[in-house]
Amino acid sequence: MKQAGSNNETFSLKSRLKRFKRDINKWSVFTLAIVLFFALPIIFIGVELFSGPGETWSHIVKYLLPEYIWNSLYLVIFCSILVLLFGVSSAWLVSRFDFPFRRHLEWLLILPLAIPSYIVAYAYAGIFDYGGSIDLIFRQLNLDFIRIDIMNKAGLAFVLSISLFPYVYVSARAFFLNQANNLLEASKMLGVGERKTFFKLMLPLARPAIVAGLVLVLMEVLNDYGAAKYYGVNTFTTGIFRSWFSLEEPETAVYLSALLVVIIFALILFEKWQVRKIKFTSSKSNSTQILRKKPNRPLKWLIFSVVFLPLLLGFILPVAQLIYWAALTASTVFDMEFILISLQSFGIAITSAVITVFFALILIYFSKWSALRFINNIARVGVLGYAIPGAVIAIGIMIPTLALDKWLIDIFSKFGIDSGLIINGTLIALFYAYAVRFLAVAYNPIESTALKVDNSIPDSSKVLGVGNLKTFFKIEFPLIKTGVFSAVILVFIDVMKELPLTLILKPYHIDTLAVKAYEYASDEMVMEAATPSLLIIFTAMIPVMFLNKLLIKK
Amino acid sequence: MLTIESLSKSFDKGKSYALKDVTFDLKAGDVCAIIGESGSGKTTLVRLIAGLERPDEGSISLDGEVVASMNIFVQPEKRKIGLVFQEYALFPHLTIFDNILYGISKLKNKKERVQEMLDLVGLSDMGKRYPHQLSGGQQQRVALARALAPQPTLLILDEPFSNLDAMLRKQLRNEVFDIIKKTKVTVLFVTHDTQDALSVADEILILQNGKVVQKDAAENLYVKPNTLYVASLFGNTVQINKNIQTAFHCPLNEKCCHAIRNEKIKVNPAEDGNDCEYITTAKVLKKIVLGDSVQLLLKLDSGEQLTVLTQDKNIADTITIGFNSKDILEFKG
Repeated sequence: MKQAGSNNETFSLKSRLKRFKRDINKWSVFTLAIVLFFALPIIFIGVELFSGPGETWSHIVKYLLPEYIWNSLYLVIFCSILVLLFGVSSAWLVSRFDFPFRRHLEWLLILPLAIPSYIVAYAYAGIFDYGGSIDLIFRQLNLDFIRIDIMNKAGLAFVLSISLFPYVYVSARAFFLNQANNLLEASKMLGVGERKTFFKLMLPLARPAIVAGLVLVLMEVLNDYGAAKYYGVNTFTTGIFRSWFSLEEPETAVYLSALLVVIIFALILFEKWQVRKIKFTSSKSNSTQILRKKPNRPLKWLIFSVVFLPLLLGFILPVAQLIYWAALTASTVFDMEFILISLQSFGIAITSAVITVFFALILIYFSKWSALRFINNIARVGVLGYAIPGAVIAIGIMIPTLALDKWLIDIFSKFGIDSGLIINGTLIALFYAYAVRFLAVAYNPIESTALKVDNSIPDSSKVLGVGNLKTFFKIEFPLIKTGVFSAVILVFIDVMKELPLTLILKPYHIDTLAVKAYEYASDEMVMEAATPSLLIIFTAMIPVMFLNKLLIKK
Repeated sequence: MLTIESLSKSFDKGKSYALKDVTFDLKAGDVCAIIGESGSGKTTLVRLIAGLERPDEGSISLDGEVVASMNIFVQPEKRKIGLVFQEYALFPHLTIFDNILYGISKLKNKKERVQEMLDLVGLSDMGKRYPHQLSGGQQQRVALARALAPQPTLLILDEPFSNLDAMLRKQLRNEVFDIIKKTKVTVLFVTHDTQDALSVADEILILQNGKVVQKDAAENLYVKPNTLYVASLFGNTVQINKNIQTAFHCPLNEKCCHAIRNEKIKVNPAEDGNDCEYITTAKVLKKIVLGDSVQLLLKLDSGEQLTVLTQDKNIADTITIGFNSKDILEFKG
């Protein structure tokens, strides 16, 4: 019994404008400003495209671009296969079977995330090198050394997969543990066997969760610079570095960045499309304990080996290699400078973690306080930086800040002040870039804890006469502080591990542990890279265990 | 003191309306209940009045001052409304004392006021506890004390008893309203339970599909319901359709819809016709003994089935039933 006439009246442009005027508040404007601030690097890349490609662009298109595309495609395909193999099999086995050390393996499998993939790459190069660990072992046994060359595309795909598979493992396991139990029981009651249950029921159902994890992996694969550079594989990221540093052609770097962004958005669309087609997961999580099968003795140990293998390859072997190297070189590496760099690294990571979490908080709450509904959706746009490779963000920040600095220098020089570069080449640009890249890392855990606080809680504060800001400090913040704390830790780890963005934007006189490790490796001193690498790994390890607890709850 | 004029709210840009053209007012000191099924728009109405949602059309005035319209919006914190949420919404990290103190922290004698409120709701020595240490009923009373502490001009209770079981519900309802009566505040009370509304409200507003169907004193709603839906809220009713009209030989105005309450249908009325104007015979299909009365499922000659209540336990297989024209409810349309 809708009255068409009055509907048109209520939702006519005139009425909408009237309400828009009534509802727009400072929070709406602030939210828009923050989102714009975080989208700026990408916007600048888009704008720079109009100024045309550089001189070498046609050369690159002809000789290098096919290789970049082919290599990236190769990495995407082979990493997908390997990551699915490692991640899904281990997730399924730990959630369906009982076998020796299952409880330990269940969380240990997440540890490869503590090692940046470029460091895994260094370690494996050492393991397979002439005079490397395998070579030494073979010689001890008086056997001939069969050299496996790992410093190529295939090796790179292996290294990236073995260090990134936990993303898929974590999301697949979360699905198997939370959602799958009653379906499993139903399948069992219908007399369907284990194998058919897995392939016909669980795998298709888990697809959205697995694809979500896989897309995260592929974003990291496309983001990687350190490993590809070390293994001599030309990818988009190494191409961006080359055109920026060697060719000194920012225009070319911009064009490559834009192409890479297009590929990433294609990936995101692929994920959205996958999830849109099938949204099986019910919002109710299943609290009943899964009943694990107890296989017989030989099978038990076979399952153990299958689950142990990715942990061995992704964590134990590389860390053992690094410890061996560190034992040989620590005395030369460990000096005052190293301590200084470590302190700088921690300082930068903590500061940028706090800055990033601050922005995530104000983005979440400002958009909530905005009475305009579309603002809530726009807030998510600000979080997209996580999908954009660090090198691209760095280029997107470098170009406008250089221009801004030039303008500032001009202005200051009118007053007779020689200001030098104010933003570029200082920590400001670096913190800004980290915030853009890792905003999502802070946003997601805070948002999920904030969602657990029922709206009626802040609402009743407001009805009791207390405004938005005071409600936030007195009611909401105390209730979400665990989420905020874990957000700080997560961003902290990511900044500690970050390489490509840091390499481009870091101030000349400042180093981080990641940069130091990279520099040692680039200078043919890969053994010396072990000490800073281990420090990064151990710093990241403790919080990764903490993150695991968080993910289990989710 | 509360005036609402042609209030509308849609959550999907006009495709459907949570609330459509709602108009009513409330006098100071009244206790008004809002009855509606889930999805009838009662929570949306409450949230609009409290300032937690913004209207798409229409206006809300409190004490003669417009607080929401197409170009005015007064923030919830400036409206001086007390709101008790369905889930109580106590601040879990604050003690009971601090929960009640929260809304009156600017008051001079705030601590005395908190203690006064604790005494009022009978939780005098519970101030140091945290919400999770209290029973559901106690939490409910804390929520009430917190809402009443700033002396609101209007107190809104949003389904305050729906989380409680039937026994506790009745007891708590009486307790809560005894407390409220002492404060003489104007009350808007949302419920889906007719019993709740009848036992405490001066006036009842009935919402259906986002529209006000009727607003009236409780006894009027029983005698003069506007629609069949309202009639059925206050007791079982039978629609008097064509077949039933034929069976009872009572032709009625075709332009209107008619109904009769089951309890107004008399079983075995006196045969002289003085007792009932319209009578017919019916077969007894089923007897259900409900303590001191008996429920009968009857079948008329026309095939219609209906249920009636009687005190008489010796019922034959075929009986006479009848009703009077004064008991017929007539609805327009």
